[in-house]
Amino acid sequence: MKHLTEEQIILHCFGDAENVAEINQHLGECSECREAFDQVKAMLASIEPTPVPAPHASLEQKIWLKLQDRLPGKNHGVLPDSFSRHFLRPFLQAKWAAGAMAVLVLAAFVAGRYWPRDSEKPGSAQPAQAAQMDPQRVVLVAVGDHLERSQMLLVEIMHTDTQNDIALSREQAQARDLLDANHLYRLSAQKQGDPSVAGMLDQLDRVLAEIANAPRDLNQKDLQEIQDQVRSQGLLFKIRVIGSKVRQEENPSRQYSENQRL
Amino acid sequence: MEVTDAAVVAQVLAGDQDAFRILVDRHTRSIYTVIHRMTGNPQDTEEIIQEVFLRAYKSLERFEQRSSFATWLYRIAVNRTLDFLNAQKMTDTNPITENPDSETHQEEIQLRSASPGPDRLLLSTEIKTSITDAMRRLTPVERMAFTLRHMEGKSIEEISQVLNLRADAAKNSIYRAVQKLRQQLAPLVSVAK
Repeated sequence: MKHLTEEQIILHCFGDAENVAEINQHLGECSECREAFDQVKAMLASIEPTPVPAPHASLEQKIWLKLQDRLPGKNHGVLPDSFSRHFLRPFLQAKWAAGAMAVLVLAAFVAGRYWPRDSEKPGSAQPAQAAQMDPQRVVLVAVGDHLERSQMLLVEIMHTDTQNDIALSREQAQARDLLDANHLYRLSAQKQGDPSVAGMLDQLDRVLAEIANAPRDLNQKDLQEIQDQVRSQGLLFKIRVIGSKVRQEENPSRQYSENQRL
Repeated sequence: MEVTDAAVVAQVLAGDQDAFRILVDRHTRSIYTVIHRMTGNPQDTEEIIQEVFLRAYKSLERFEQRSSFATWLYRIAVNRTLDFLNAQKMTDTNPITENPDSETHQEEIQLRSASPGPDRLLLSTEIKTSITDAMRRLTPVERMAFTLRHMEGKSIEEISQVLNLRADAAKNSIYRAVQKLRQQLAPLVSVAK
């Protein structure tokens, strides 16, 4: 009697072999092939589907956040206009921008005193370029960048698994960097009487401080508390709303073309 | 009433790029499982998912609505994962023996099968480790075909479509995968019986 091939046996285990009736008949009559068939079955049974841990609840948000800047020609506006109008108007008022500009001028002054003066090197074109930039656009770029970096940091924090070992030294260094700038932006917003923006920056200030000052051996409970704080205040959402609008304001020409398209 | 994927695609193609987020929200989890099964870790899985959606976005004009968006995206996901595995294999510092019959490999398997302790739990752990090891020794296409058939329950027809293979080539990939796994795992499985 002609035995089944190894291929027939293997494919039959999946129900993918041809001539199923003949194979079944042969397996009923041939102990050698039956044994081989049972061995393959047993081996396949030992290979259980790899368990896939459930992804975190905000996986889609994280994917979109990282993806949106990579989409060709992507504009950053992501929220309903009605919400933007209600929430963002104070932030986009010229007086707030002027306040932020003052902060930047101050920061530039302080930085200029202590940082190496690369601009004095022959051949450097940076000062001329900087002088040609629109000051309000400089402010918006700086604020937009600050909010984007804060947003990325908080997303990382929110996605840190509290069940595993917690190592946040990189995030803590980032939080320390962001904290100083955030402090200045918050003071400026308060001075200009923009309570909604100042409130958001105040909440961000506290969270950044929590992260920056957390102990090296941060435990699950501490991290959980920070995550709860961010979640309960809807902080990521607020930052995203403002950041999105700031990015739109950064480039009026892009805004114009978007409006024309719509 | 929920807007269909086809309508969302049309919306994106008409210039509403933010509508693409609807597709991200709807389909991320459906491709997460299969990608994670192949990569084994969430970080690489998330990176690949980003690449999948980026590729889908850039190719959206070429999406023909003969198949569903989900099927089309799944196909991109599988192929991006294969690209990742191929690239990983190229840079893998631990060379994978292509021929499982090699002397070294036989010796390795024999050592493992000859030393199971009396504790079945230990043996079970050893089997799991060996399965992971054996899976890594498959070519990316064999591994993907086997995973789709054995773990994802996809039919030969679906696998051949997703991998852009003829049905007999898809069957052959599965056969070769099982054949290699069998050679590597048979000693352990017989001990565990």
